[in-house]
Amino acid sequence: MLPDDYDQIDSTVRATLRDVLGLSEARAASLTADTALFGALPELDSMAVAGLLTEIEERLGILIEDDEVDGEMLETYGSLVRFAAAKTPR
Amino acid sequence: MLRFGPAMGPVAVVVLPLFEEANRVRALAAAICRALARRGIGSLLPDVPGQGESRVPLEQCGLPDFSDGIADAVKQNSDTSRRCYSVAIRSGALLDRTAAVHGRWQLAPQDGASLLRDLKRIRQAARPGTPLGDRWYQDGDAPVEIAGNRIAPDLLTALPLSKPWGRENGGVVRTVRLETDTLPADRHVAGTPLWRRAEPDTDPALAALLADDIADWIARCEG
Repeated sequence: MLPDDYDQIDSTVRATLRDVLGLSEARAASLTADTALFGALPELDSMAVAGLLTEIEERLGILIEDDEVDGEMLETYGSLVRFAAAKTPR
Repeated sequence: MLRFGPAMGPVAVVVLPLFEEANRVRALAAAICRALARRGIGSLLPDVPGQGESRVPLEQCGLPDFSDGIADAVKQNSDTSRRCYSVAIRSGALLDRTAAVHGRWQLAPQDGASLLRDLKRIRQAARPGTPLGDRWYQDGDAPVEIAGNRIAPDLLTALPLSKPWGRENGGVVRTVRLETDTLPADRHVAGTPLWRRAEPDTDPALAALLADDIADWIARCEG
């Protein structure tokens, strides 16, 4: 079943970051809306971004267009969850 | 080609995914092969042309070359008393279509269109600010370099039409996906999508669980 509420989307995005970047449970749990991602998280290089977005698509059943991917969307954990939530049919 | 387990009885031919994902899941594949050996099932891990230890440059290869490589490995390792089963991981499921196997087991099979989207995204990530169009890989005959792999444009052109073998194609097919994957499967299991990890890693619990599933399935097929 696809995640359809904000908390489920948050936990899906958090688990995806943990799995794709190999973060520990504690590090994944410590991500807050203000946690900086791209440029701040050393594991999140441009290659990892590609894998992360594709995995988020798969887990949420959404399609992310290439022109939607920008620095703002990946600036913080909160902005990534907001983007994913806006794309998810509810 | 790596061999594991007994020299008699059924053989699982493990087909790795194409390109970068092959490196990311090789340790998982070897762990599955070792676990199958402990369960009395032989397996082999062939390198397809252009990948792994092959001497053929990747840029000279198309999908039929990869499929022929798998079909040859199956042919060389099966006889009247030894039946081969393919165990395909991700886009490896695109490569066992012409192999004379007695059944196909697939882990998170990926179709060619999805693989092409992944490749485009990886290439785009390496060229920020230069949006890639729909025909991003059709600029002449020169190989397209994506994360260190030089890939022939013909291979990329063929990907959108390539699909994993399904039940509708006949024969025995079993599909296993991770529980985080929303696509349908015969079984969903807990585990990490190691094929997405930038740094290769393994997951012993997942390998053991998958080896159990494969061994039970082969026993049912042989029974």
